Amino acid sequence: MEYLIHIAILVSIYSILGLSLNLVVGEAGLLSVTHAAFYGIGAYATALLLTESGMNFFLAMLIGMVITGAIALLIGAVLSRFDGDFYALGSLGFNVIVFSILLNWQSLTNGPLGIPGIARPSLFGFSFESNTSFLTLSLVLLALVWGICTLITRSSFGRVLHAIREDEQAIQVFGYTTTYYKLVIFVLSAMLAAVAGALFASYITFIDPSSFTVNESIFMLSIIILGGLASHRGAVLGAAFLIILPEALRFAGFPTDVAAQMRQVTYGAILILLMLYRPQGLLGEYRL
Amino acid sequence: MDIVSQIALNAVIAGAIYSLVTLGFNLIYGTARFFDLGYGALAATGGYAAFYFYTQLGLPLLLALALAILVASALGLLIEKTIYRPLRARKASGTILLVASLGVLTVIQAVIAIIFSSQFQTLSRDVAAEKVYTILGGAITQTQVLILVTALVIMLALALLLKYTLFGKAVRAVSDDDEVASIVGINTEKVMGAVFAIGSAIAGVAGVAAAFDTGIQPTMGLSLLLKGVIAAIIGGIGNVYGGIIGAFFLAIVENLGAWQFSGEWKDAVAFAVLILFLLFRPQGVWPK
Repeated sequence: MEYLIHIAILVSIYSILGLSLNLVVGEAGLLSVTHAAFYGIGAYATALLLTESGMNFFLAMLIGMVITGAIALLIGAVLSRFDGDFYALGSLGFNVIVFSILLNWQSLTNGPLGIPGIARPSLFGFSFESNTSFLTLSLVLLALVWGICTLITRSSFGRVLHAIREDEQAIQVFGYTTTYYKLVIFVLSAMLAAVAGALFASYITFIDPSSFTVNESIFMLSIIILGGLASHRGAVLGAAFLIILPEALRFAGFPTDVAAQMRQVTYGAILILLMLYRPQGLLGEYRL
Repeated sequence: MDIVSQIALNAVIAGAIYSLVTLGFNLIYGTARFFDLGYGALAATGGYAAFYFYTQLGLPLLLALALAILVASALGLLIEKTIYRPLRARKASGTILLVASLGVLTVIQAVIAIIFSSQFQTLSRDVAAEKVYTILGGAITQTQVLILVTALVIMLALALLLKYTLFGKAVRAVSDDDEVASIVGINTEKVMGAVFAIGSAIAGVAGVAAAFDTGIQPTMGLSLLLKGVIAAIIGGIGNVYGGIIGAFFLAIVENLGAWQFSGEWKDAVAFAVLILFLLFRPQGVWPK
């Protein structure tokens, strides 16, 4: 049971990542390969605030979101001037740079050793110490993020994003400054990724830079491409599938390290097969 | 003086390896017109094949190298025929091809890790026996001299092939406009296949060179590829010769950066250069 709860918590964390990444990739059509960077900044900001000052988890998470948003604003200001392949490549570059900083800014991040002893959240004297209560918290936050994403996509702002995705020049002709829209959605998406980062840090109670590599960004991209771009249900389905799969492989008798690589093989193969036979993913409305 | 000539020598070696990567990448990008991320995995394949034939099986050096390059080339051709070609036939967008090639990269990288473990390994059978030359106070090994010579020979051979042979003309025709090329009777699919075979062979050489110079790791493909792509963009993407300038420029900046800050920041410096170029001179120093 404990094991199933563990899987469910991971699925909710990755669902939040999928939902937030979908705002940029699915709704606005920008192939961003830097989501793990914001996941990481959110995780580190929350973890440092918790361990250094011992403040409340929820306050730390909110401050972490603001910090992540501010950094995303700087990165997005550069990225929103690119499109197509260059967007993908430039964003990947920022992931590498952020990872290098997490790894090498020893005095702040403790480098490759990471940050141990991150406290579990508590609120009004109630501590989310047990995994069952932590799962409840994760699900509540997932529901909140889902709600925010739905609000964004149904608003007039979301419709402009769709227009950028379908034909950026056409919507520019109508007088919309598309770089502004691309920037805003990028920052919002990064702030929601920070929520996932905060949850991850306090759930595992330990973080190190290896959780926030380019490969992790590619994994998040696979989640939403598998589930289907611009589909909320797709993001959750993709996360559930790709998290449960390697666990199933472990039960099938593969050793743990091979199972981790088998996960890579499987989702790589899924990407190829999807591109060949179903480029819109399982539930998606938008084709790359 | 010593440190200056050592940095210059290091930059020249790194530049030679990056040149090889970017040479093959530009050849493929120029003809197939998409960001082939799987190309990086072929470099890793070359490196690991050399490790297998030379270090593990103990074959003679030249035979091992020839086999390694052949393996990379054959794998590249196989991927082109089974994945990229059907996608092209369906008029898939560049983004779809990019995501598919991301899948290729992930799968090959993980398969290598399963077979050979994800540890860092070195190729040389006998490190002590290696000759070291001194130029103006900087040290250069015999292997590095060989890498340099190989890179120059391949650059020259490719330039001659593209400029003076009928095949080279066909490649240039297909990269200008594949529809017109096929109207005038060029078998574009055959040319494309040959381009992938040659490009992948060059990737294999680059992988072997990097393997002998530093060592092998399953993720080496991605980092080599990214350096090659950055070099290609600095030089003007799709321009085979511009890429070589870009490769040496990148190598010099990286080594200066490593000297000024420390080696860990190398990747971050490389991507900072990329982002600056994308921002201020996206067409590169030598546009096609």
